[in-house]
Amino acid sequence: MTPLLRFRVAAFPAWRVWTRRHWGTGGRLLLLGISVFVVLFPFLWVLAASLKPPTEINRPTLWGFTPTGAIWAEVWLGSPFARYFLNSLLVGGITVGISLAVGTPAAYAFSRFRTGGTGLRFLILAAQMLPPALFIIPFFLMAYHTGLLDTVWAVAAAHLTFIAPLVTWFLIGFFEDVPWDLEEQAMVDGCTRWRAFLQVVLPAARPGLGAAGLFALIMSWNEMFYALMLAGGHSKTLPVAIAGYWTFRGVDLGKMSVAILSAVLPVLVVSFFVQRFLIRGLGGGALKG
Amino acid sequence: MFRFIGRLLMALALIGLGLAGCRPATPAPVTLTIIMEQVPDTDVIQKLLPDFEKENPGIRVTIDAMPYDAMRDKILASFMAPKATYDVIIVDNPWMDEFVAGNFLEPLDSRIQTTPDYDFEDFVRPVREIGVVGGKVYGVPFYNYALGLIVRQDLFDDPAYREAYQKAYGQPLAPPTTLEEYVRIAQFFKEQSGGKIYGAAMQPQRGYKVFEEWKNWLYAAGGNLMDEKGNVILDRPEAVQALNLYIEMYQTAAPPNSLNWGFDEALRSMAAGESATMMSYNWMLPTLNNPQGPAGALAGKFALYEVPGGKAVLGTWHWAIPHNAPNKDASWRFISWVTSKAVEKQRVILGGAPVRVSAMKDPEVWQKGFGQAYYETVLKILEDAEPLARGPKAEEIIQIVGTELNAAVAGEKSAEQALKDAADQVRKIQGQ
Amino acid sequence: MSQRDRALGRRLLFPLLVLLALVQGYPIAFAAYISFHNYQLTALDQVRWAGLAQYRGLLDNPSYWTATRNTLVFVGGAVILELLLGLALALLLHRPVPGQNAFRAIILMPMFITPIAVGLMFRFLLNSQLGIIPALLRPLGLDVDWFGPRLALVSLILIDVWQWTPLMVLFLLAGLEALPTEPFEAARVDGASSLQILRHLTLPLLRPVILAAVLIRMLDAFRVFEYVYAITRGGPGERTETILFHIYRVGFLYFRLGEAAAMSFTLAAVILILVVILFYILRRQEAWA
Repeated sequence: MTPLLRFRVAAFPAWRVWTRRHWGTGGRLLLLGISVFVVLFPFLWVLAASLKPPTEINRPTLWGFTPTGAIWAEVWLGSPFARYFLNSLLVGGITVGISLAVGTPAAYAFSRFRTGGTGLRFLILAAQMLPPALFIIPFFLMAYHTGLLDTVWAVAAAHLTFIAPLVTWFLIGFFEDVPWDLEEQAMVDGCTRWRAFLQVVLPAARPGLGAAGLFALIMSWNEMFYALMLAGGHSKTLPVAIAGYWTFRGVDLGKMSVAILSAVLPVLVVSFFVQRFLIRGLGGGALKG
Repeated sequence: MFRFIGRLLMALALIGLGLAGCRPATPAPVTLTIIMEQVPDTDVIQKLLPDFEKENPGIRVTIDAMPYDAMRDKILASFMAPKATYDVIIVDNPWMDEFVAGNFLEPLDSRIQTTPDYDFEDFVRPVREIGVVGGKVYGVPFYNYALGLIVRQDLFDDPAYREAYQKAYGQPLAPPTTLEEYVRIAQFFKEQSGGKIYGAAMQPQRGYKVFEEWKNWLYAAGGNLMDEKGNVILDRPEAVQALNLYIEMYQTAAPPNSLNWGFDEALRSMAAGESATMMSYNWMLPTLNNPQGPAGALAGKFALYEVPGGKAVLGTWHWAIPHNAPNKDASWRFISWVTSKAVEKQRVILGGAPVRVSAMKDPEVWQKGFGQAYYETVLKILEDAEPLARGPKAEEIIQIVGTELNAAVAGEKSAEQALKDAADQVRKIQGQ
Repeated sequence: MSQRDRALGRRLLFPLLVLLALVQGYPIAFAAYISFHNYQLTALDQVRWAGLAQYRGLLDNPSYWTATRNTLVFVGGAVILELLLGLALALLLHRPVPGQNAFRAIILMPMFITPIAVGLMFRFLLNSQLGIIPALLRPLGLDVDWFGPRLALVSLILIDVWQWTPLMVLFLLAGLEALPTEPFEAARVDGASSLQILRHLTLPLLRPVILAAVLIRMLDAFRVFEYVYAITRGGPGERTETILFHIYRVGFLYFRLGEAAAMSFTLAAVILILVVILFYILRRQEAWA
């Protein structure tokens, strides 16, 4: 892995030019194929680990054993795994919803009007620069005193601390890439700034919104630290459950593998659908000329 | 604009309080929430819970299981709330003194004395002493994790190996009782098997693990972290000798590139048949000998002995009641029930690690559990065992020593230098 | 900019600020407070004012500086690699290729696993005895100690690259998709080569998104914790002791939360400086004054 990566980095510009001129699609497919292999290989191992009987789990093999579905059954049927799944969905949904709802207008304001100047832009990132370890005790106390301990709301609120600013920051970069002409033209046609924003700028920024939303979902879906501290039996999320398989007596690789794959698949599905937003398609028609 | 914010905040605060009010008041019957780790011993307790709830109809028990670090962090957070979020907690031995110093735990002496037939002295002495701080009892033992030497008995019994060893060293091949023997036997296995079987699966991972393993070596060499008066004696010659032997073992007989190995890797190495011995928790033996367990075809071939030198590193988990727990009587009902002689016996039969002498000497336990030899060995291990560190800064001391030891094994420092640095830092912490 | 625009800007920003004040206000205040007091979790009745003592104490705390240095190396290595690889992959995935959707979905997959699971996965994948990657590399003559003194930090960087390059791909791809088409068509009509288009058109236009992506990834990389936690625990020696792991260690293993808070704010200051520098370097063009 190391030699391959270093090679790619060092020869980047020359390689790209050469590929485009001489190999075209074939070369692209090859590079993509290599990337896919590098990406998928660990997943294959996880898949194998989720199907191996306990006696085989310590052997470094990807095949050559009789697969068993027992571990999958144990995790899904023998533990409240489905509830953890639901909790993660709820927390993710709340986080994505609120962060997009709050971050999009804020990003627009930062990008177009420079509201608050550069200072404010950095200030909202303040919490991102501070470690979660520091916030855990205050969050816990806040959740305890508002009675929200062990609910999805507490976890979502903790997630919003760092996800909302990041979504905003990302969207700022995005709105800056959307040319001013769009709104100017709409306003010339009689829209107010706000309506121009809703009806012209937002659709043009769809790829950015899709990416930001996916990003927010992923950050929330994978967040373990806050969820660990603020959730109890009722609001436990998937990462907490996954981490739970790492016990004092060793990592339960089989069950953890099942949990990992179960957690990855929904996000994979969501990302597949969000792809549609990432593709320019008909939205590009808004750009006259 | 500020008025608006103020009103918004008030509104949110009211909603929050409203939600808090919507929470059901503590129901009668009382519900005890217990925080534990996700380990087989917890599963055993889960199995026994229905009996407790039958005997105590007013009390229900829920167990919140999670990994080690998370548990510690949540316990700390719970201490800071007006009312503890957990009614019963388990306390690892390095935390005990510190929690007591922070006034977090409820003293249990009067409760123990008023519980009939409790027999606190029945707990193995080194184990129960950990829960005694400043003369008062703050915790009662739950399960032990003392170290023992786990070996592939079939390799030691193998005629070819026995003959070769006898010829080379003039002594019979047997589980080692001194450090030099251990290193020699480990090197022997590696050579004789042509490098296929390593002498020992070691756990030199920085921090807790390496110190936990190496301190057995330190004990075997006649050394310790501190003497009875509390002076740090970690940099004495016997300690340097012990560390040099440990490093020699790592370099000549352990699996290569195992510098960051902890419990998991060592266990897997044994289970996969790649190592001949390992120092690990005594209750790993049943796991390894389980035909449906990780060892597969090798199940049944493992045996447990005391570590070389006979004195082992002791770790324990204790039950305790937080000072700010809302239902201390109910909490004690549970603790006294689960640690009573009768329930302890059942727990051990179901596979829990024992802490009571009576349980380890009970023929019924031998028969239904893992056999007489196993329990007798465990008792021997426990009777001469000592924890890694005691006192309020125990965890920090363990981490510091563990960092230096790992640096020595990694070859970044000489053994002597590492121990000197460790000793100096520990002295600084102790204010010496 | 009209007065109405300014007012609109403030109103658009308002929800985000309220949200952040609610969830971050108390925790940050708490953290600042305890950084000036010798706040120890297990000696809460002995909290005394310490002024700047805990901050000054960092000057002769070698572990803190080792951790900072390790983290800077990690962040630099990881972010640069991720940017280069991410750009390459985004460019590859931008042009139509057969199976494009599938490629895109698969390449994003590593992001979908919670980091602690990724750490544990690679801990076992790269294990010299039991791991499958060394088993495959050994016949090729490549037998290294992935977590030994020389390579441990590099291995962690590579794991980070494996997991987070897809995030860069996500951002950069979304950025590429939202770029207007006319400049590119015009350039091609004028006869520009692919490399020229890349250097003089694509990259400059993409700058805001690149800035946002690098910033976000950099802030996240500073918080590397789970990989260290799962695999090396800061070892061998102190080679992979990253700053967040160190803060966690001091705050929760040694219970000295006040000192941990002082470390956190110092870290935040360091990060802020870097962020500002980065911001001004990449924003050399001030198109909107």
